[in-house]
Order: sequence, then C-alpha cells, then structure tokens
Amino acid sequence: MKKNKILTIMLILAVMASATAFSQAKITVKGSDTMVILAQRWAELYMKSNPQTTIQVTGGGSGVGITALINGTTDICDASRPMKQTEIEKLKSRSNTLGVEIPCAKDGVTIFLNDANKVNELTLKQISDIYTAKIRNWKELGGVDAEIRLYGRENSSGTYTYLHDEVVKADYASTVQSLPGTAAVVNAVKKDVNGIGYGGAAYAVGVKYAKVKKDANSTGYVPSAETIAKSQYPITRYLYMYLRNRPTGETKKYIDWILGPEGQRVVTEVGYFPYK
Amino acid sequence: MIHDFCIMKNQVKLNPIEMKKLLAIGIFTVISIYGYSQKQVIDSLKDVIERHEGKLNALDDRVLVNETDLAKLNKIKVSGYIQAQWEMYGADLEKTNGYDNTFYVRRARIKFIYEPASGVAFVLQPDFSTGNIVLKDAYAQINIPKLQGWSLWAGQMNRPDYEVEYSSSQREVMERSRFIKALYPGEREIGAKLEYIGTKIPLKFQLMVMNGNYNGPTAQAAVQNAKDVDSKKDVMARLVYSIKIPGAGIGIDLGPNFYFGGNLSKNNKYYKNSDGTLDSLKSVWKYLDKNWVGGEIQIFADVLGGTAIKAEFASGINSVPSAVAATATMAQMKASPSLYNNFTGYYLYFIKNFGPKNQFVVRYDYYDPNTKIPNSSFNVDAKGNNISYKTWDLAWQYYLNDNIRISLQYEMPKNEINASNPTDKKDNMFTVRVQAKF
Repeated sequence: MKKNKILTIMLILAVMASATAFSQAKITVKGSDTMVILAQRWAELYMKSNPQTTIQVTGGGSGVGITALINGTTDICDASRPMKQTEIEKLKSRSNTLGVEIPCAKDGVTIFLNDANKVNELTLKQISDIYTAKIRNWKELGGVDAEIRLYGRENSSGTYTYLHDEVVKADYASTVQSLPGTAAVVNAVKKDVNGIGYGGAAYAVGVKYAKVKKDANSTGYVPSAETIAKSQYPITRYLYMYLRNRPTGETKKYIDWILGPEGQRVVTEVGYFPYK
Repeated sequence: MIHDFCIMKNQVKLNPIEMKKLLAIGIFTVISIYGYSQKQVIDSLKDVIERHEGKLNALDDRVLVNETDLAKLNKIKVSGYIQAQWEMYGADLEKTNGYDNTFYVRRARIKFIYEPASGVAFVLQPDFSTGNIVLKDAYAQINIPKLQGWSLWAGQMNRPDYEVEYSSSQREVMERSRFIKALYPGEREIGAKLEYIGTKIPLKFQLMVMNGNYNGPTAQAAVQNAKDVDSKKDVMARLVYSIKIPGAGIGIDLGPNFYFGGNLSKNNKYYKNSDGTLDSLKSVWKYLDKNWVGGEIQIFADVLGGTAIKAEFASGINSVPSAVAATATMAQMKASPSLYNNFTGYYLYFIKNFGPKNQFVVRYDYYDPNTKIPNSSFNVDAKGNNISYKTWDLAWQYYLNDNIRISLQYEMPKNEINASNPTDKKDNMFTVRVQAKF
C-alpha cells in the first residue's frame, strides 16, 4: 500500500513537471562578447517583424554562455570558439544530449596595432612569441626601440581561448593586460603607440589591422570578405550558436532567420562575414 | 592714494617721453607681478601634480601587487557539495536499524584544485562524514609535454570505470549500482594512471596501476588503505570510443574494460571454488586471481529533449583471501578457505529530461556474487554479499537553479531466495534528498 502511494505521488509530480517543461515564453541568448553586438542587432531586427517573440541578449564571454547552456539558464549560447570536450561531457551529464552546434558567421581574429606603429606585418610564430613574451621589443620586429605592451581578453572569452589554442599554443605572458571586451582592447591599443591587441574583426576603429602571414615566406593578409572566403587569412574562425536540443517552435524560426539572407546581411553590416 | 596721486600730478608736470617711460615701467611691473603670480600658481599646480603622481605611482604598485596575488589565487579552484536527505525504510530494514525513518547527511565534500601552470593540477578532496573525515582524492595530474591528449596522474584517485568516475553530485540516482560498490569499494585506489583523450580521434584510453586493496573510506579501513598489502600491483584498463550522428541527434560512447590483479593468501593454501569444490594453491603466500572483463555503453539521444540509455557489465573472478592466522592447522585452513567467486553484474539506466529542470530516471541493476551456485549461502564476496540481487530504482530530479537539486527516489531490491533467505526481504527505501553544490 505504502509502495503504491509513493509511486502514485511520483507519477503525479512527473505529469505536473512535464506540463510546464515544454512552455517557452521568450528566447534567452547569452555568451560571446565578440558576438554580442551582432546578437543584439539580430534580436532587434527580428523582434520588429515578430513582436510576439521576446529575445533577451547578454554577453559575458563564450565560457559564461557555455556554462549557462549546461546549467539550463540560457536557450541559446553564442560562442566564438568550439565547445571543449570537457564542456560537451558536462552537457551530456546534465542534459543527456550532445548539444547542437550551429555555425552562424565567420570572423577573422584581428591583430590590432596602433596607427603610428611602424610594424605592419606579423607571422603566426611572431604573434605567439609576442604573447608569450619571447619577443619583448618592437625593434626585434623592425619597429622602434620600445617595449611591446600586451592587451588581451579575460579567460572566459572565446577569443582568448581560440587564440591560445590555435596561435599562441602556450601560456600567455603574465604581462598581458586582461580587458573585458574587444572594444576595450581596441581602445587601449588606440591610446598606446606600443600596444598590441586582438579581437573580432568588427570592432576595429581608430587602429590598424596587422597583416598576418602563416610564415616568413608567405603573403600577409588582413581579414576581409575576400581573404576569409578564400581561406587566405590565417586566423579565420566560425562564430557559433549552441543549443541543448534541436531547435523547435519559435527558436527554430529565429535560427532559420539568422541563417537566411536577412540574418546574414546583418552579419556583413556589423563587420563579420557570412558563414557560407 | 588716488587723491595724493592727483595732487602729485598737478604739482609735477611730466613730459611725454617720461610719461611713456613711466607707462612702460608700469606695464612691465604689472606683467612681472602677473607673471610671478602665474609662476606661483604653476609651481603650486606642479607640486599638486607631483604629489598626485606620487600617489598614483604608489597606487600602481599596490594594484600590481594585488593583481599578482589575485593571479595566484585564481589558480586555486574550490568546489563542493552537501547532500542532506530523509529516508524511509521497509519493515525488515526497520527491524535491523531500530527505526523506519531518519534524516541523514549522506555526503559533504570540498574539492581543492590548484593549477600552477597550464596542464598541471593538484587535487585534494576530503570527505566530511558524520564523526569522520577521510581523504577521497589526493593526486597530481600532469599533461605530458609534446604528447597532445596524454596525461599522467599519481596519488589516490577514482578507479577508471564509468559509474565510478561519474560524480556523486551529478549521478541521477542516489547510489552507485550494487556490483560497482562490491568490485570497487570506496571508488578510489592509490596508484598511477596514464590517460589519453583524443582530439582528432574520439577515443579515450585509461591504464591504471594500483595497490589493489583499497577497501572503502572508513576510519577502520584507513590503515589498510594507506599502503599495499602484497608485492603485486593490480592493473585496470579502459577504452571508450565515441560515435556521433549529428543529423539524428545521437551520440554513442562504448568500449571494453579489464581488471587484472590478485590477492595474496598469506596463511592458507586452500580455497573454495564457486561451485563449492575445495582446491589448493602450491603453497601459502601465493596469489589468488582477481580478474574480470567488462564493457560499457552510453547512448545520448535528442529525442523530445534529452534522453540517455546507459549500461555496463562485468564478469569474472573475484577472490577473498582467508583470514586464518599463520599458526592455523590443516583442519583450520580447510575449514576457512580463501574464496574464488565467479561473479556477474550489470546495470541499465533510462534517463529522460523534461526541459532544463526536470529529469526522470529508472535503473535496473543485477549482481550475483557467485554465479555457480544458486543458493550460495556458504560463499561470500569481499563485501559480505552471498546472494544475488535485482534492484529497481525510480527517481525524479528537479533542478531549482545552478546550485540546488531536489531528488526523490524509490528503491526496490529483490534478493535471491535460498535457505538463509526464504523470502524477499522488505527492504525497499524511499529517499528525499536536497543537494547544494557550489
């Protein structure tokens, strides 16, 4: 008798919870600071023609967004790097899915230099050596005799992780000043003749892009629609949206719109590049 | 003064050149006084700026020190969880315990991870049980330089098994399955482990060499657990391959695992086989086999939200050394032989997520510590199990937020019937648990 009562209670609770589980009043988007302006523009434009949908966008960094996705506190995570295997394992444990990865735009991770800097071109190895403090003075790169001042992002940033994994491939130097967004990095380099920074291509105003080359014998390229489409620019990456489950309903409609011509036009307007 | 100047002016008549000289002197004087006062202001401003510059430089130094300290503190991560629960028991458990319900703090743990550099971690995790503090984890983990994906671990850590490694704070049911608890008491072992996690190939490989005698995190076991009890080391190996079918939203992880080890029979050469026959080793101080093979599979499917099916099995020989004294007679040795148990165990989970907050779980777990004899009342394994069990667990999890989870579970074990256990015991258990995690 006691067993039947307990089982009945558990069944009722299950039905009650299920009834609330599938309702979705709004879409929350959280994550990449690289993508936050893009995500906000998407949301504003979409809500204009779809007033029944509310889309809430916040930044915080790709790491913050992925944690929120795992914990169930966001519907869509924006990320400027792929999810790590440890994060996928946590998502599997928590949600029993692999997650859904949707590339939604392309970006060239740009190396920012002050307009007055004589150096215009860097190889991938030089960028790594600069950010690991193996190269410390601009004169080693053909510039003036001045100490290189390093600006970068916090470790919750997808751009920080992407550059670390793909270019730097070692611990960042302890002298890198961590700043809370690409705009802050650009601002710092703009004010510092000897500064160097990195970030998404859409943010560079008042600084110049360094031409990046694979090695000393290659041609250097700046990120542009052409160099990214042709995979010439060496530090090209996808920007992603991650979901716990395959999108349905209003979320699917929103994502389809982002991947369609209107959403991709916004990508170009903001300064990134279409994902196809 | 003006009056006097007017009188003077009337009394002294100046010619134009002298007037101009006087005017020039006057202007020069005014400019000098103005310039002097401006210089005073500038000097005073300079002083103020220099003072503030000094303060800013001092602040800069303090910020640099604080940033350096913060960078060091950021290398330490602290996490933990507490599980507090209320349990209600069936009639037979009530008779054993003396009560039919109780509040209980099942687990209280804090984990410290120190990462001094990329690819290096030191982990320390004490477990705070009521009246007892024991060490759960104490190990160092180092990524092997230039071998991407490979890492070396040394110390006290989890044995390489899926359900063992799956954290108690994440697990969907209250406790691990019966056969896992029997084979791997306390989950941990002291040894060294080599691990490979592929990035380009979706493969995970683990090889652990260990003492092989860890017997649970109790104060009584602590002395035995601290060092090995014989010269042979046990070895565990595990391989997991991941398959993804993104279009269908399906992921599958599967692979085999192996245990090779032995238990030293110090004082008794006689052992009883699973079928009850008595056999003997060549002499005392010989090793009894402790070997088994197993396999695991986990299937994750994005079907109406997250769904998972997980299963694992193990089958082989688990031995229990005789506890007779060194001075035992032949008759005493034969009366209390070591034991060779052919065992089999497996579990099957079905887990269904309903949105981000709710989860329903069913687990079936089977363990037979001696497969050769149906009524194995004479044969016990190292945990004192002598009959087989089939256990059903039904559970519901509710995630209030990132940190709080509420769980309800009903456990229904069904024991093997034999002469010592003529009926299925009334040992069902209902548990309500609140977990706080940080």
